[in-house]
Amino acid sequence: MKKYTYIFLITIASFLLTGCGLDNYDAPQSKLHGKITYNGEALSLRGTGEAIQLQLYQDGYQLRDNIRVYVGQDGTFEALLFDGEYKLVTRDKNGPWVNTRDTIVVNLKGSTEVEVKVTPYFTISDESIKLTGSELNATFKVDKIVNSANIDYVTLLVSKTSFVDDVNNIARKDFKNQQPGTLNLSMDLSGNAKVAAAKALFARVGVRTVGADQSIYSDIVRLK
Amino acid sequence: MKIKNIFIALLVALFSLSSCSDFLEREPDKILSDDQIFSDAIMIKSVLSNFYGRITWGQHIDDSYSYTILDEAAKTDGGPDNRGGFEDDRWRVYDYSLLRNLNQFLKGVRASTVLDNATQKQLEGEARFIRAWLYFNMVRGMGGMPIVGDEVFEYTPGMDITALQYPRSTEAELYDYIISECDAIKDFLPVDPSVRAARATKWAALMLKARAAVYAGSLANYNNKMASPIKTSGGEVGIPANLAQGYYQIALTAAEDVIKSGKYELQLSKPDDRGRNFYEALSVKENNKEVIWARDYKYPGQTNGFTQSNIPPSHAEDIDRAYAGPILNLVEDFEYINDRDGAIKTKDANGNYIFYDKPEDAFANKDPRLWGTVIYPGAVFKGTPVVLQAGQKYLENGVWKFRTSEPGVTDDNKILITSVNGPTTTNNQFINKTGFFFRKFLDETPSASTRGRRSEMWFPRFRFAEAVMIAAEAAYELNQPIKSLTYLNMIRERAGIQSLTSVTFNDIVRENRVEFAFEDHRYWDLKRWRLADKVWNGVQNSSTAQQWALFPYLVNDPSNPNNGKWVFDKIATHMSPNPRNFEMKNYYNFIDQGWINNNPKIVKNPYQ
Repeated sequence: MKKYTYIFLITIASFLLTGCGLDNYDAPQSKLHGKITYNGEALSLRGTGEAIQLQLYQDGYQLRDNIRVYVGQDGTFEALLFDGEYKLVTRDKNGPWVNTRDTIVVNLKGSTEVEVKVTPYFTISDESIKLTGSELNATFKVDKIVNSANIDYVTLLVSKTSFVDDVNNIARKDFKNQQPGTLNLSMDLSGNAKVAAAKALFARVGVRTVGADQSIYSDIVRLK
Repeated sequence: MKIKNIFIALLVALFSLSSCSDFLEREPDKILSDDQIFSDAIMIKSVLSNFYGRITWGQHIDDSYSYTILDEAAKTDGGPDNRGGFEDDRWRVYDYSLLRNLNQFLKGVRASTVLDNATQKQLEGEARFIRAWLYFNMVRGMGGMPIVGDEVFEYTPGMDITALQYPRSTEAELYDYIISECDAIKDFLPVDPSVRAARATKWAALMLKARAAVYAGSLANYNNKMASPIKTSGGEVGIPANLAQGYYQIALTAAEDVIKSGKYELQLSKPDDRGRNFYEALSVKENNKEVIWARDYKYPGQTNGFTQSNIPPSHAEDIDRAYAGPILNLVEDFEYINDRDGAIKTKDANGNYIFYDKPEDAFANKDPRLWGTVIYPGAVFKGTPVVLQAGQKYLENGVWKFRTSEPGVTDDNKILITSVNGPTTTNNQFINKTGFFFRKFLDETPSASTRGRRSEMWFPRFRFAEAVMIAAEAAYELNQPIKSLTYLNMIRERAGIQSLTSVTFNDIVRENRVEFAFEDHRYWDLKRWRLADKVWNGVQNSSTAQQWALFPYLVNDPSNPNNGKWVFDKIATHMSPNPRNFEMKNYYNFIDQGWINNNPKIVKNPYQ
C-alpha cells in the first residue's frame, strides 16, 4: 500500500516540475481579404511558389518584420489577423504591374475587404483556348496599358491540375516578338507523354513584360 | 523496505533539482586572454589557422550536394530532388563575427612584441587578405554591406548602440574597398608560393583584386544593359555603367601582374596526355605549378568527403558511393578538338542510332579537359575502366527495345545487363543516374574513399588559368580583341583544342564554364553577366535549365549486325524533374529581417 502512496507522491512531484502559465492571447480571428484589381477586375497571376506577395506592416512595435500575404492565382488573398491598423503594400518589383508601392491603410475590425489597385503593363481578355486533336489553339486579346512596356514573350501553358503557370505546367511554349492586339497561337502536344497520360488538362496563356519578374495570365480554361 | 528507500531517494532527487550555487561563477580555464595569445608566436599562428578554416563558402568539395544546385551535376542518391528555384539566401555570407575576430587579431598582432617585423607584416597581410575575401563573399551575394574598417566593436550595457550601427556601403564602394585592401597588403605577403597553396601570397592578393575588379566591371556593364536594371536608390545594389571601363582596366593589370610573375604557369607536365595533365594540374598537389591559393586538407583531422561520396561503385572502398553525378549539359559544353559543337552524337540525320564499338568511342576527340573533369562511360579510373551500362538494347519488329536488371546482373549468356555503376532510373541509393561520375577532385589515393580516413584533396580557390581568363575577359571588354584572343588561346592550347581566330563574349562564357567546372565559378559568373535568368529559364525540357543524362546501352541482339556495339539515349534525368528557374529576385540575396531589427540603417534589397 505504501508503495502506491510513494508512486502517487512522485507523480504529483513530477507534475509540479512543469512550468507556469497558459498562452495569454487567443488566436487571431479577424479576416483581411481582398483582391488585386485593375479597373475593378481581379488580375490573374501566378499563385504558386509564393511568387506574388503583399506585405503588411503595423506601426508602434519595436520590430519591423512584415507579415507576408500570399496572393492566389485568381488575384485574391486573405490573412487572419488581430484587429488594428495595418499598412498594406506590394512587394518591391514583384508582379506584372508598375512598381508604385502605394501604401493602403487598413483598419481591421472583424472581416475587412480591401482592393489593391495596380496598373498592369498588359491585360489579357477574350481568351478562347481549345484542344483540337493534339493541337492547342489559343485566341486572345492583349491590351497594352503602360505605353513604355514591351512584351518579352507570350506563353501557352498546359497543366494537369488547375494550377497553371510558368513553373507548374506539363507543356509550355514561348513566343517571342509578339505585338499587342488579338493573337492566335498554337502548340503541338503530340509526343508529349505527360499530356497523353493526364486525366485532366487545364490551360492558360501568359504575357511577360520585358524586365518584369512575373507574367500576367488569362483565366484558366479546362480542356479535359 | 528497499523499494521504499529508492522512492525516498527519488523524491529527494526530484525536490532538489532546482538550487543555487556559485558553481558557474568561476574564472574560465579554457578561454585564453588576449595577453596570453599575443605574447606567443605559436598561439598567434594557431589563431590565424582557425581563420583559414572558417572561410569556405559557396560551392565546394566538402559539400558535394552543392554541385547539384546548378547545371553541373545532379543528385543521384535516393529519390528525386524537386528543386527548381533558388533560395533567397542561397550561398549567402554574413559573418561579422569573423570580421570582429579578424579585427581583434589585427589589433593584437600590431601590438605584439614577440614578432619580428617581417612576420608581423605577413600576419597583418594574411588577416586583411582573409577580411577582404570575406567582404568579397558578402558583396557578390548581397551587394554593398557595412564596412567597419579596423574597428573592434565593444558593447557595454546602457551605451548608445546607434554608434555601432553602420549603414550599408554602396556596391561599388565595397568592391573598391576590397581592391584597395589587396593593393595595400600585397607587399606584406610572401612572393614565393606557399606550401600546398594553403596560405595567402602576394599572388593570391592580386588574384582577389583581379576577380573583384572583373566582377565589379561586369556588374557595371551588364546590369545596366538589362531591360530593368537591378538597383536601389542608395546604390547598395547597382554599379553605375561609367565605372565599368575603370574596373576592367584594374582587372587586366592585376591579372597580367600574376601572369608575368613567373611563379605559376598553365601546368603542362604531360603534353602527350592532355586529359591526365588537366586532372593533375587541379587535383594533384605534388609539384603543382598552377594553383595559387586553395583550401588544403590533411590527414588526420582535416579531410573532406568528396571522394568518399562520389566514387564509382565499382571502385568504392567503403559503403558510400555515387551521391551525385555530372550531367550531360556540362559534357556537351566541352567542344571537340576540331569542332565547336560539343553535342554527343547519338543519332544520325535520319534519327537512327549511331553504333559505337566501345562506349568511350562516343567521346573520342572531345576536349581533353573532359577526361580530366568527368569520368565518362568506359573511361579509366585508377587503372581500370568505369563501366556505365544502363541495360541492353535489342530490335523487336523494327523498334529498339531495352531491358534492365538489378545492378551487376548478367543474362543467361553471361552478358552484363545493368552495371553495378548504373546508370538507372530507380530511386536506389549508391548508384549512378546521370551516366557520368566526377573526376576533377576525385582522389586516387588508396583508402581516400573510406569513412575512416576520407580525402586530403584540396579545393583550389585561385589558379593561374583564372588570371589568364580574367585577362582575356577584361581585354575583350576594353576593346583589345587581339590581346583577348591571345589569352583565350593560351587556355585552349594548354587544353589541347583548336585555337580561335576571333573572340566573342559567348566564347569567354563557354571557356569559363568548361575550364572551371566544379570550382565555384559558374553561379557567380552567370549572375554577374546577368545571364542566369536566361540560362536557367525554368522551361521544361530546356537544353540549359533541365538536367540531362546520357544512358549507354549494349546492343545484345545476335541476329543484328550491330550486336555487341553501344548506343546512347539522352534523357531528362528523373532525379531532377524540375528545370532550374532563376528569377530576377535571385540576383541578390535577401537581407534578413533580423539584421534590420538589430540595425535599422540597413536597407533591403530589390524584390524583397
